[in-house]
Amino acid sequence: MMTLFAALASVVFGAMAKDTTQERVVYGFKVFAEFMVIGLVLAWVLYFIP
Amino acid sequence: MVKTERMHAGTAEPIPGFAWLIGVLAWFVPGLGHLMQKRWWRGLLMGGAVWLSFFIGLAMGGHMFDLNAPEGSSQYLQVPPMIANLGTGALYIISWLLSYGFADDPAQAARATYEYGNTFLLIAGLMNYLTMLDAFDIAVGRKP
Repeated sequence: MMTLFAALASVVFGAMAKDTTQERVVYGFKVFAEFMVIGLVLAWVLYFIP
Repeated sequence: MVKTERMHAGTAEPIPGFAWLIGVLAWFVPGLGHLMQKRWWRGLLMGGAVWLSFFIGLAMGGHMFDLNAPEGSSQYLQVPPMIANLGTGALYIISWLLSYGFADDPAQAARATYEYGNTFLLIAGLMNYLTMLDAFDIAVGRKP
């Protein structure tokens, strides 16, 4: 579900940012990766907090 | 010459009425603002993401917010999520008219995907605000 969320949000962010198609695709993937990494890091941090 | 440049800098160009219409339509039907300006791929991608997010949220058992606060809660606390939900335009209004997707009963809240559904519904509205602003900027000529 987190992956699906990240994919949908990164499509929107990627489509509306930058100037060229290539830049948009790269930015979309970058945002997707950031969502995933931050989500996983937060999940592990919260796992250790009672 | 300097005086002329200053005069130009001081006067903002008026926003055409067409751009406002595009903005309203882009809010009302996600993706329509781009499609009307022949930005087919951008409209399909951005609008499609909003539509998908909305229906996935509903399928997960999420609920939308209106001004009817549940017992023990303030009406004012409903306003921020309602504004987010309202971003989906016609999808929200039709659901509200049909009273579909607004139930917040304990049986629904017990579903494992309930909170995820709420989040998807909120995000659908917020993403459509971004889509609307993007369509407006294109109509004004600020974006290619």
